[in-house]
Amino acid sequence: MDVSNLLASHAAKYQTTDVDKETPIEVDAGFLTVTDLNPIDEESYKANLEEHLQSLARDGAQALVAALFKLPTTQSPDGPLAQLPKPTTTLPRAKPLPKPKPPTKWERFAAAKGIQKKVRDRKEWDEERQEWVNRWGRDGKNKQKEVQWITEVPLNADADFDPVKAARDERKARVAKNERQRLQNEARAQGSTSREERKQDIERTLATSRGSTASMGRFDRKLEGEKKMKGVKRKFEPTERSLDQEKQASLALLSKMDSDSKKMRREPASEENVLNVRKAVRFASKGRGGLALGRDAAGGKSRSGRGGRGGKGRR
Amino acid sequence: MLRTVKPKNARSKRARDARAPKEIEDPRTAIFVRGSHTGEKVNAAMRDLMALKRPNCISFSKKNVIHPFDNTSVTEAGHTSQSSLEFWSTKNDASMFLIGQSTKKRPDGLTFVRMYDNRILDMCEVGVTGLVGMDQIKTKKCTPGNKPLLHFASELFDTHPRFIQLKSILIDFFNGEVIDSICLAGLEHVISVSLSPTPASLNNASTSAIAETKEDLSTLPTVHIRGYTTRFLASGNRVPRVELTPMGPSMDLTLRRHQEPDPEMWKQAMKRPKVAKKDIESGLGRKNKRKNTELDEMGDLRGRVHVGKQDLSKLVGKKMKGLRGGAVDVDMESDGDDDGDREDDQGARKKRKV
Repeated sequence: MDVSNLLASHAAKYQTTDVDKETPIEVDAGFLTVTDLNPIDEESYKANLEEHLQSLARDGAQALVAALFKLPTTQSPDGPLAQLPKPTTTLPRAKPLPKPKPPTKWERFAAAKGIQKKVRDRKEWDEERQEWVNRWGRDGKNKQKEVQWITEVPLNADADFDPVKAARDERKARVAKNERQRLQNEARAQGSTSREERKQDIERTLATSRGSTASMGRFDRKLEGEKKMKGVKRKFEPTERSLDQEKQASLALLSKMDSDSKKMRREPASEENVLNVRKAVRFASKGRGGLALGRDAAGGKSRSGRGGRGGKGRR
Repeated sequence: MLRTVKPKNARSKRARDARAPKEIEDPRTAIFVRGSHTGEKVNAAMRDLMALKRPNCISFSKKNVIHPFDNTSVTEAGHTSQSSLEFWSTKNDASMFLIGQSTKKRPDGLTFVRMYDNRILDMCEVGVTGLVGMDQIKTKKCTPGNKPLLHFASELFDTHPRFIQLKSILIDFFNGEVIDSICLAGLEHVISVSLSPTPASLNNASTSAIAETKEDLSTLPTVHIRGYTTRFLASGNRVPRVELTPMGPSMDLTLRRHQEPDPEMWKQAMKRPKVAKKDIESGLGRKNKRKNTELDEMGDLRGRVHVGKQDLSKLVGKKMKGLRGGAVDVDMESDGDDDGDREDDQGARKKRKV
């Protein structure tokens, strides 16, 4: 049986999908990009530019499409979806990598103990009502004790024991505890100040508060283990002094204020921070902008209409 | 810089979170800025590039005094061009710029600016010499927002630093989003970037020499950007035959000034996220814990075992009584010269054992 006729007719009907190049074409399927590293043929480039470019592009596109059609696919309503590999070309990122979230105290503990995280369902099965109810929130299971019409009271309860209030207080305390732990986690994530630093901070606050009564804490109730404060003195100057002494005291105060080590009022760091250029231009030109100011200074007649406000990006 | 404030409601919180850095990034949003003067050609070129870039673009339709390569000139409000770019980038959450500017010295210029962390990473200026817009070619256009296939043709895209940068910027401009799948029926158009034949001066010089010497811009080949729509014809097998129809735009560009990225910033920008654990186990990451294992077609786990190269010189064969004794020494000394060190070594060992 001679199949050459069949083959010839097949070849006439369909064109080839193969691309032959000296250097094989590089395909980066992840970015749908193809790079043809063969040198450009000068003859065909000069003969007919558009045709040359189109044939180059066709070869490249053919190679890319061939690579894409060979990828594993999944079906979708719009046709087959090709699963793309990771790109081989590396492009710079537009933003820095996201910082990993610092683990909470519980997460660290769980990691140390090997406790797996499991997500709790938002709904809970209620045996009595035989239906799924919210764990919290509207008609939540956690408020069941507060809304039920009858509650068992313990034998030794006070006369004014309110079981609804007790249940509610307990729930509110749990919420408050959670919130406190959240804040502590946040503070820990913010910046880990050392234990020593925190201790110093607390002692400084305590010292300030102890010395803030008129008697500098002399008549305050002492706590167990509380140390005696050092360097706290209450000294009253006489109301009447000689002029000389008063002058000396005032001068000493002034020189202290003037000295560099204990400057009471800090001056701005440098000249450029003082002058707000934008504000100054606006003020000097009465809100018409720097261009108008320049025109006025040059003595030309000022045009109306185009205000010279710049810098904000006119869209 | 913009103030960072704590969001007051859920909507603004969502908006802020949408701008936060992500492990896998969104495509770059490009801002199209007109300089103090733009000619007809630049306007048309920017319009067409914007049509291809949609929807990830923002148009500044008014003129702005901006000279991205000149950071010494200060505008009336006390801003430099680069600080303006940084401000716009932060304000609009955009990480790319296309600036059109036409001056007497550099007519019809387009500047691509890439940002990293709202700071300028690198810039590349091109001059538009020839332009046929999309509206002048009366053929069917691609769907807006359709992902193009990109084609680069010339060996310079692999060797010459200017063209490597241009390729990187253009991929980032048109296609810089990592996607995991694509609809094969939706491949509609090709953007082809090719160069004129490489001049002899670039052919001969080695790549390092190109980078070092101050190059002459006129020797660099012209860049031809062409847009085509694709048609898939039946080919008798699974891969279809691709035919192209010109769609536009067709631009001829010449390279002009450029700014290389700061090495430190580039290093920061090229940092990759750590590969997820399940990817490591399936063997995608570099730090593959389970080396030399793979699943074959039948789903069986196959392993390869590497056996180190055997050192046969240290092989100890069976020692026969007849070969032992003083005769060996004599034998070694007699033909020790022609065989060199190994024989000597062997001889020494034998001596010790005897």
